[in-house]
Amino acid sequence: MAQTYYELTYIVNPVLEEDQLKATVDKFNTFLSDNGALIDEVQQWGMRSLAYPIKKKSSGYYVNAYFTAPGAIIVKLERQLEIDDNVLRYLTIKYDNKMLQYREQQKKGVVQVLRERTEEDKK
Amino acid sequence: MRGKPALKNPQHPRKTNIRQRECLFTKSGFLYVDYKQVDVLKKFINDQGKILPRRVTGTSAKFQRQLTDAVKRARHLGLLPFVAENFR
Repeated sequence: MAQTYYELTYIVNPVLEEDQLKATVDKFNTFLSDNGALIDEVQQWGMRSLAYPIKKKSSGYYVNAYFTAPGAIIVKLERQLEIDDNVLRYLTIKYDNKMLQYREQQKKGVVQVLRERTEEDKK
Repeated sequence: MRGKPALKNPQHPRKTNIRQRECLFTKSGFLYVDYKQVDVLKKFINDQGKILPRRVTGTSAKFQRQLTDAVKRARHLGLLPFVAENFR
């Protein structure tokens, strides 16, 4: 089956104990690998405060994962995320060519920096 | 490298206020506007949390499309507000 590169970000309930947090993250990692996904990288951003309250929580534990998988598992994955009460929000994104190039750059440690407006622009 | 003039009529009262600007994303050589780069996105929203129009920021159409998607994704994940705290 066709393999596509995906990015998944989800927010876990911050009220959980540390081992429960870890269990939730592990659950989705194993779910991915069991369903034929190849995990590229999992980054845990940790606790962050939210810009607005979600499910009456003002902060959340962010997890950001990159993986290659057949498209069919995304529906199953999102269903699992929806069912899990400890997941406040999730976002899956499919990567196209430009985004893959960007991802390659990111892996090499190149960070996109926005140029400041110069004096000339302001005239 | 300036785009087309914003207003053709030189007597238009708003003409003096309109600045022609170049797209900052193009100039900085962006490949993709990432919703995770919140500090970048913040420069393109106003204090209410609204996305600024192209005519204000001078962003190219291509990047404005990516920008709106990025801002909306960031909002969904609670990285950016839908409405800023002090305006609610």
